Amino acid sequence: MSFMQIIDLKVHYPIRGGFFNSIVDWVYAVDGIDMEFEQGKTYGLVGESGCGKSTTGKAIIGLEKITSGKILFEGEDVTKERKSRTSHFHREVQMIFQDSHSSLNPRKRIADILAEPIRNFLNLTPREERKKIDELLAIVGMPGDSKEKFPHEFSGGQKQRINIARALATNPKLIIADEPVSALDLSVQAQVLNFMKDVQKEFGLTYLFISHDLGVVKHMCDYIFIMYKGRFVECGTKQDIYQNPKHLYTKRLLNSIPATTPLGREKRKWARQEFEKMYEKHIHKAFDENGRVYDLIPISDTHYVSASSVKEVV
Amino acid sequence: MRRKKKRYRKNGRPRGIGVAFREFQKDKIALVSLFLLVLFILFVFIASFFIDQEQLMRINLYDRYSRPGEKYLLGADQGGKDILGQLIIGARNSVSIALAITLITGFIGIVVGLICGYFGGWVDYIIMRIIDFFVTIPSLLFIIVFVTLVPKYSITSFILIMSLFLWTGTARLVRSKALSESKRDYVSASKTLGTSDFVILRREVAPNLSSLLIVELTLNFAGNVGIETGLSYLGFGLPPTTPSLGTLVSYANNPAVLQQYWWVWLPASLLILFMMLAINYIGQALRRSVDVKQRLG
Repeated sequence: MSFMQIIDLKVHYPIRGGFFNSIVDWVYAVDGIDMEFEQGKTYGLVGESGCGKSTTGKAIIGLEKITSGKILFEGEDVTKERKSRTSHFHREVQMIFQDSHSSLNPRKRIADILAEPIRNFLNLTPREERKKIDELLAIVGMPGDSKEKFPHEFSGGQKQRINIARALATNPKLIIADEPVSALDLSVQAQVLNFMKDVQKEFGLTYLFISHDLGVVKHMCDYIFIMYKGRFVECGTKQDIYQNPKHLYTKRLLNSIPATTPLGREKRKWARQEFEKMYEKHIHKAFDENGRVYDLIPISDTHYVSASSVKEVV
Repeated sequence: MRRKKKRYRKNGRPRGIGVAFREFQKDKIALVSLFLLVLFILFVFIASFFIDQEQLMRINLYDRYSRPGEKYLLGADQGGKDILGQLIIGARNSVSIALAITLITGFIGIVVGLICGYFGGWVDYIIMRIIDFFVTIPSLLFIIVFVTLVPKYSITSFILIMSLFLWTGTARLVRSKALSESKRDYVSASKTLGTSDFVILRREVAPNLSSLLIVELTLNFAGNVGIETGLSYLGFGLPPTTPSLGTLVSYANNPAVLQQYWWVWLPASLLILFMMLAINYIGQALRRSVDVKQRLG
């Protein structure tokens, strides 16, 4: 049962120019996407740089203006409500940012950083507030004396855990994680990701996991959306996407995952080059004459692919 | 736990006030400037309590141009008025006027700059055009016109007139920094955490500008000390019944005074020089302690 739906979300930016600074053209950052979120699942949003992943996340939480489309939360239309900062929606939907360092105010102590959502959303006495902060730090496995420290005294992984603790403060239903680990090194990535999974199990959270790292997405997500030029190219469960990719762009993305073994490197290189030739030859068929991605067509209960007609799906 | 913290402080690099302190230690001129300036301002403010301004400004032709040491310690001007007393009251006026102007323009500049930089869009556009207007008009001419128009002219009206034109520089500087600071993720995070714009500005953005502001206000202060004396020199500053450093310097317009009666204008000029240099040295030391790349220590 889904608790949140996104219907035909569009975020367009005007390009201004000319003598009167009039609108010359539009950038279609996000151009008509539909999503549904179920309790306790992780949704991956994958795509190349600049395809509109982050804009989608920011538009959902209200940091970007929506051109058109609707966001339904627990059956109610919250598209307008997102603008009021202390609404119920904002309490239930939180965000983790990519840059763990710049998302913590360098002038505030950790205790004050964690207290911010508590003071805004929960009416707690100072004593309860302190208890809550201790709890949050314990959840993310940070020592109690970190309360008095400043953000720059922590490592990248620790800072990201503080960010997660802050997002957890209001017991949200959905956490939008905008490339939460791409700024961390690999060992710390694994640590933070496993920790996010643990927290998810404990609180029944839903994640919208925005990433360009296919390995991370495979590790984390139940359901995956592949995005290209502001539209979904393919979406389906993890098995649908990784075992049975249908769209040429998805195939190419999966093809680009590097193998860990050095054996057969030459062979793989040759295979990649062959695939690239095939891709160049057929890619024009995957999009319409303006280069726009086709609408999604269902090919199974969970699996959707963009194509001009069902026949085109090979 | 407390001991652990202390040890950390000892080993760690100095921060905040510690950095500024070290910067002053490395820069002996700034240290001496700070010491002398604090001493001087204290002296001027305390000494001015014991001087009766009306008594001081009474014309006494017997003492006209009396030499230093004859009747007064630093001699007298063409009206037979004590130079030392005028210096003390004049310096006090200059410093307090400069302080008031700095605080008023600083406050307006910070508020306007923060609002422009944070909200952006048409709010920023309109306010920036107003600031452009203030910058393009020849402010000195306008100040002179205002001074001649205002019926009851006093120190307060002088401060307000000056403040009207001088807030734009601070506003522009704060805007540019607030603009880059507002794009940082912690501001976005605060928005998603339900904090209102006003609180974000005051609690999140403003503290991150504080170091820049301290430097800007110190250097503004140095400039504002010069403004009062400059206008008084031109004859559009303080009313003639109020002693001023600028008025003393302007007596040197008379060639006779310039050549023969050096004690009338020289001490005031040196005093202005000293104050401006001292505040500038302090401001530069503060600026270095804020900017990591320029630090000496």
